[in-house]
Amino acid sequence: MPVVDIDPDELRELTGHEEKGDEDLKSDLFGLGLEFEGETEDGLLQFEFGPDRLDRLSVEGVARSLRYQYGDDRGVRVPDTNDADYTFVVDEDVPDERPYVTGAIIRGVDLDEAGLDSLIQLQEKLHATMGRKRAKGAIGIHDLTMIKGEVLSEESGGNSITYTGIDPEGDTFVPLDSDREMTPAAVLEEHPTGETYADLIADYDRYPAIYDELGLFSFPPVINGRRTEVSTDSRELLVELTGTDQWTIDRMCNIICYALSARGATIEDVEIEYADRTLVRPDFEVDTKSVTHDRIETMLGVEFETAEVIDLFERSGLDAVVADDADASDEAADAETVYEVSIPPYRTDVLHPLDLVDDVGRAYGFDELEPRYPDIGTVGGRHERSRLEAATRNALTGLGFEDLLNFHMSSEDETYDRMNVEPGADYLGGGDPVEITEPYSEDYTILRQWALPSLVMVLENNTHRAYPQDLAEVGLVAERDDDVNTRVRERRHVAGVLARHDATYEDAKARLQAICGDFDVDLETPPTEHPSFIDGRAASVVIDGDAVGVVGELHPSVLVEHDLELPVAAFEFDLSALASA
Amino acid sequence: MKLPEPQVAVLNAASATDETPIERLADEAGLKPETATQAVFELRDDGLLDVTERETVEYELTAEGREYIDAGLPEVRLYRAAIEAGADDDPVQMGRTIGAADLDGPEVDIALANFGRKGYGSIESGELSADGDADAEDDPEAAALAALAAVDDEDDSDAALADVDDDDVLDQLVSRNLLERHERTVRTATLTDAGVTALMEGVEATEAVDRLTPEMLTSGEWQDVEFTEYNVEADAPEVRGGKTHVLRQTAERVKDVLVGMGFQEMDGPHADADFWINDCLFMPQDHPARTHWDRFALDVPPIADIPEDLVDRVEHAHREGVGEDGDGYHSPWSEDFARAIALRGHTTSLSMRYLSGTEVGELEPPQRYFSVEKVYRNDTLDATHLLEFFQIEGWVMAENLSVRDLMGTFVEFYEQFGITDVQFKPHYNPYTEPSFELFGRHPTTGELIEIGNSGMFRDEVLEPLGVEHDVMAWGLALERLAMLTTGAEDIRDLHGTLADLEFLRDAEVTY
Repeated sequence: MPVVDIDPDELRELTGHEEKGDEDLKSDLFGLGLEFEGETEDGLLQFEFGPDRLDRLSVEGVARSLRYQYGDDRGVRVPDTNDADYTFVVDEDVPDERPYVTGAIIRGVDLDEAGLDSLIQLQEKLHATMGRKRAKGAIGIHDLTMIKGEVLSEESGGNSITYTGIDPEGDTFVPLDSDREMTPAAVLEEHPTGETYADLIADYDRYPAIYDELGLFSFPPVINGRRTEVSTDSRELLVELTGTDQWTIDRMCNIICYALSARGATIEDVEIEYADRTLVRPDFEVDTKSVTHDRIETMLGVEFETAEVIDLFERSGLDAVVADDADASDEAADAETVYEVSIPPYRTDVLHPLDLVDDVGRAYGFDELEPRYPDIGTVGGRHERSRLEAATRNALTGLGFEDLLNFHMSSEDETYDRMNVEPGADYLGGGDPVEITEPYSEDYTILRQWALPSLVMVLENNTHRAYPQDLAEVGLVAERDDDVNTRVRERRHVAGVLARHDATYEDAKARLQAICGDFDVDLETPPTEHPSFIDGRAASVVIDGDAVGVVGELHPSVLVEHDLELPVAAFEFDLSALASA
Repeated sequence: MKLPEPQVAVLNAASATDETPIERLADEAGLKPETATQAVFELRDDGLLDVTERETVEYELTAEGREYIDAGLPEVRLYRAAIEAGADDDPVQMGRTIGAADLDGPEVDIALANFGRKGYGSIESGELSADGDADAEDDPEAAALAALAAVDDEDDSDAALADVDDDDVLDQLVSRNLLERHERTVRTATLTDAGVTALMEGVEATEAVDRLTPEMLTSGEWQDVEFTEYNVEADAPEVRGGKTHVLRQTAERVKDVLVGMGFQEMDGPHADADFWINDCLFMPQDHPARTHWDRFALDVPPIADIPEDLVDRVEHAHREGVGEDGDGYHSPWSEDFARAIALRGHTTSLSMRYLSGTEVGELEPPQRYFSVEKVYRNDTLDATHLLEFFQIEGWVMAENLSVRDLMGTFVEFYEQFGITDVQFKPHYNPYTEPSFELFGRHPTTGELIEIGNSGMFRDEVLEPLGVEHDVMAWGLALERLAMLTTGAEDIRDLHGTLADLEFLRDAEVTY
């Protein structure tokens, strides 16, 4: 979940509530869903929150939410923007993989150290979340005074910069945190930031690049040039975002613009000139969605008056009007009432009218809702498979077995090699394994194809515990099988081991007989060969005529392999054999 | 007459004329005192013995008291030394007299205190005067000690007490810690007339046996035998039965509660298409939780079949949203990605399958479904996190469900596990809105802990599945509940091949 670092003094200043102590702020923020996590080394307070309200990734955004909560602000606020002076020209050479760009010009900026830190933090957090680690959207912020726009036309004036694509070795610039000229290709290999983000564009034929009249000054999504580096002295900024989706980078841009506007800066439009269209950005268009009064009341289980609902919307930073000709103060608000709700352009999470219902609930306070048990009659019951498992477990524990619960993930080493089993063999345990594509531990590389190896491992790990150790498990096993819809044949097996100084085949078979007796199925045990068991002391478990498992005395080599110093009799078979036909 | 062996012995040892204390009967009968006592009372109940109880006081010399019998009481020794030094005429120096009396250590204080108390003389400014008329050689305390010592061996304190009948003197000796006073009940027994008659007619011991045998039962011999007594308090050898795994017990308990609340159990594949695990849940394909870091992708071909019209509707929801005012995600979506097989990261895949109508047919409201099944998350394996764990999953479908119904259901569920005062913290999930994290207080520590995640399924989830009613859902880790109810601190003791058999054998049962 996202974490935002907040300087409490900044928060007090930006909300205009100097009287609030740190504890008050923590409690107020908890009400908004921001949970206090701790303090940074620099004394900033860290808050964790759900990844829906990404507009709260900065102290400015958190302050805005708090002002709505306090009732200091109401409704939708959209910053004024000045007309465009700059044009971002999108060149036809721009990489196909990253065709979109957006941005804004910011004037009258006055950032102190804290303000600059907050801006950089917001940029990084947006990269990590909406930007999908810069793959989907990357932000570059530049000192505008260091940029020399190309003059667009003699009459109208106006400046332009160009977003294009260049050969990896096609140009050079001095990147941030460096003092030498490098090609983009060299940045990816030699610059620490370049190495971090190299994977994002490694497959591109042409690398993204932004030019002004003086040359290359930004290499998105990797790094800016040093020439346009932002400092506390910067008074005018150029913000550019590139990415794989226009909507995403536009919203990221809006969140940045709102944060800077909250610090008193003026936003100036830019024109984005694509080959086939021209966009004016930032896109501060207010979206609207319609919600019915009925849906709000039904979802929250509370009756409201129209004016109350409108008030709750405004306290959420939204605006609402009753869509019909009905009067907002009309007490006869009924199910038919429809609200037209305006949504500010920094919100990224409102996909559907029900997201607005959630806002009403939060503003009303979900704590205020009285829980009620729904008056709905249904009949409960267990799944047949689950009842069969429970009955089998019951029979096993009645016979004195300790019921175990092992992981379904295991390794070839455990399920084949250490049990003497050959992959692909036609005896129990020889089936094709279901392999995990990218295992992170050599202990968990496959789904186990049989259960006995797990029980033998438990014996191995408990040689210091009292004997006899009679262990059993009813659990999942799986084999690769392309005839199954999910390509994985999942079964439940019943496995048992009897580790005791005088354990014999007979001990295992006696228990097998008892279980089969309980479930009224016929058991036969014709001799078989299985490399995990001693020759001549292993039998196939045939239940109602079907060979479904194996029973016998474990082979001494298997015992020694698992550091066991006493005989073990064992069995394993398919649980479904016990089910009534 | 046949009587048990100890009773026969006691009867033979008892006398019709003398009151014999039980201790002596035990000695003579060769029985342990408690066995003899029990036999005496049994014989009294049968009218063969009379038992008399008397409260007695006995005195026993302490080690210090015994010492003074030979050495003399310290104050007497001091008096003798003082007279020798002529203190009956003129005061003498105290230190020298103490030396002459061979007193040292605590004896000095004892001597000085009692010297004054008994009127042997006085002490002033370090000088000692003695009263020549004091009868120190006939000190009653010394005499009492001597008398008690003399009879000590004869074990007849009554006689000794007759000599020392001055209670004040005895109290004084007890307070000086030279004597210990014991008060006890002495029981004595005499044969009744019936007892005498029985003895004259002859009394035999009944046979004592170790085990009741089938032969004794069939022959009726059991009526004439006496069973040897066991030490019923001794520990018996250890016996262990099999036990259902403690986590399974918790799972069974959860299932019981949910079935009682009207929930039906779901079942379905552990390895499933991402479509069922994530896409139906309106999780965008570029969501961080869907990267290869968090899931266990399986090296098998993509799923063979998923209903084509459902795929289309789900894709449409992702791209365009649902409803007139709905927006989709601005994220890529591909069917190939959706068809890839992975181990399920939550059992909500089962809920999707059931809600879609592919498992048990189209469902009409109201419905309640649940599962308590394994899920797989690529997390760090430590004391509180496992790669595989059980998720409790549940949902309710009905017309016009509200957030209040959701809250009421969970309040009821958690109350069954002793967790009251459930708190609902507004939360965000891609698949539910509104969403809540559930918190509850640990029943013993009072700590506020997260106990679940819940919400109302979004229209973008339900509409593609063809569900036209409200569905509320929730999930939580069973292990979290089990750690609360069993007190386990390391989850690896419970689950997996590192399980400690002793922990499992000793685990308290859940009910």
